[in-house]
Amino acid sequence: MADAVTYGLGINADETLESMIEKSVTAETLGLKYVWIADSPVQLYGPIVAAAVASRTAKMHIGLGLMSVLLHTPSQIADALITLSDAYGDRFDLCIGLGDRRQLSQVGVHTNDFASLPLRVLEAKRKITSRLRKAGVRTKIWLGAQGPRMLRVGKSFDGVLLNYSRPEMIQWAIREAGLPGNHELTIGTYSPSYVHIKPQATILRLAKVSAAVVAVGATNRILKEFGLYEKLRKARKMADSSPTVEAILAAVPDEVVEYFSITMRTTQLPSYMAKLTHLGVSHVVFAYPQNHSIQTVRELAAGLDLVS
Amino acid sequence: MQTAALSLGVTSLAPIGKIRRIASLAEHSGVYGMWIGEDIGRGSDVFVQASAAMLTAPTTNVGIGVTSPMVRNISTIARAAAALAEIDPGRFGLGLGVGGLQDLARLGLTVEKPFMMMKDAVHALRRIWAGETLTLQGENFDLRQFLVRYQSRFNVPLYLGVRGPKLLRLAGQIADGVILSGPMAYLKKALEIVRTGAIGRGTRSRPRIVVWLPTLVVRKRKDQDLARAVAATVIADTPAKVLEMAEISETAVESVRRTARERGYPAASSYVTEELLNSFTISGNARHVSQVLQSLAELGADEVVFGPPFGTPLTRSIREVVSAWQTL
Repeated sequence: MADAVTYGLGINADETLESMIEKSVTAETLGLKYVWIADSPVQLYGPIVAAAVASRTAKMHIGLGLMSVLLHTPSQIADALITLSDAYGDRFDLCIGLGDRRQLSQVGVHTNDFASLPLRVLEAKRKITSRLRKAGVRTKIWLGAQGPRMLRVGKSFDGVLLNYSRPEMIQWAIREAGLPGNHELTIGTYSPSYVHIKPQATILRLAKVSAAVVAVGATNRILKEFGLYEKLRKARKMADSSPTVEAILAAVPDEVVEYFSITMRTTQLPSYMAKLTHLGVSHVVFAYPQNHSIQTVRELAAGLDLVS
Repeated sequence: MQTAALSLGVTSLAPIGKIRRIASLAEHSGVYGMWIGEDIGRGSDVFVQASAAMLTAPTTNVGIGVTSPMVRNISTIARAAAALAEIDPGRFGLGLGVGGLQDLARLGLTVEKPFMMMKDAVHALRRIWAGETLTLQGENFDLRQFLVRYQSRFNVPLYLGVRGPKLLRLAGQIADGVILSGPMAYLKKALEIVRTGAIGRGTRSRPRIVVWLPTLVVRKRKDQDLARAVAATVIADTPAKVLEMAEISETAVESVRRTARERGYPAASSYVTEELLNSFTISGNARHVSQVLQSLAELGADEVVFGPPFGTPLTRSIREVVSAWQTL
């Protein structure tokens, strides 16, 4: 595997704890440096999943997030990191951001004043950093960002995690945020992925659904920038009415999905990674459904072996 | 033969090393379980601590007693409890309460209707865990078409850590257990109210009664000083209604409260009389501590909790009390 780039497996905390641990252990054994544990209102509480994974892995870095600053207070986020680090050492990264607007509104967290949100995230980061520093905890803090307004505060973080996969989109984000040349800042991607040796139709479908969901939730600005806005108009209109998976798939064109997922054969991964590395991306997280099974984790590792 | 179970108690202020040590002592000394109380906003995550305790002590029951829906979204409490229940189904219990008066005041929070908050919280958690698509819009919670993706259709025993008569009655009616704390005279009345609330539920489903008071083994003068400081802390946080039920006049605690407010707990501890000390804490040698715990069992507790602050050294204090308890 390439030295300059670190790779991670994204774990969705909506499967069983034991299954998440098993896949994390497999990923560590196969040489992946990171596992990222998601946290959202519909999933198991990320910090406990992180604790359970840490208790069964040795050195692997564990990313926690995205932790929504609208759902948790900065103190709560910092306290989770402090307790995790006390218990398992300085092995944790944190990604903060806003989170899925639809899921948050389902639990009574509503966002209206969009213009103030980047500053709110920035203020949360400042409070978290201060609390962690006071406790002597070293944690890399990432910003989970997509649109230009949020990207602009990225410079105040240790890293920015983008949730799209097309190199030209990533290049746009880096330029938009004024990030090039900032060697202190790590640029990472976190996308629905399926790197495979023998593709399975069911998992390809899951990757497509996941990417479609990300696409539907993308900011207007980025969709317009890449000519996707009109293509997604119908899907975005139906998004608030809890559409079925079939309806989402029918409404989101395949060409749109490609912008938001890393779905390719293992043999295609080296050239894709070369493009990302050229752009300055140094952390890549292969998210759901790459964690679908032990076999899909193994296929990812096989692909990454080709990248070295 | 003891009629009640003995557990160990700790608060989330304790560093993780101490929590693991107490979990390990609980596991190896044969006590029933371990409770972790949340000190709100004081630098630790009580759910992560509970997970560390469960992983350290693979057969010990672990409970959180209590956390507050005032400070966390109810969906977060639901999924944290779900994750803990997944570590080992049947070993985790969740205590809910409004939260310590002083903790809430520090965060600028006030509770207008604690009864409805606790009732709605229990209702919401059970329905979330049952796998229902839940819409619940009220003063306390705002859930709309909320359906979790983690494995549901499980049950976590819900304890209410409450003090006033209305909430005690509610606990008797709807909770799986109740965590009581306060002076002995108060506890007798509180137990009666819980029992009255539970009438009609049937013996098998009556709530489990847990009594948890600050407890420590006293060996030296400094242990005695600590006991008084702990009593001062508890007195400062005790609502007027509890004092009234305990037949302790406001005047009797006024000096403690005023000094705690103005100069802190250590200074306030000098106003803790022997009577107040014995009302709000259990302190003395290991045999005395275990005898008082036993008297709580005779009062009707199903489970009594030893600690914090335990006394020093920690391990010796726990071993002595557990041993004295087992030989009573």
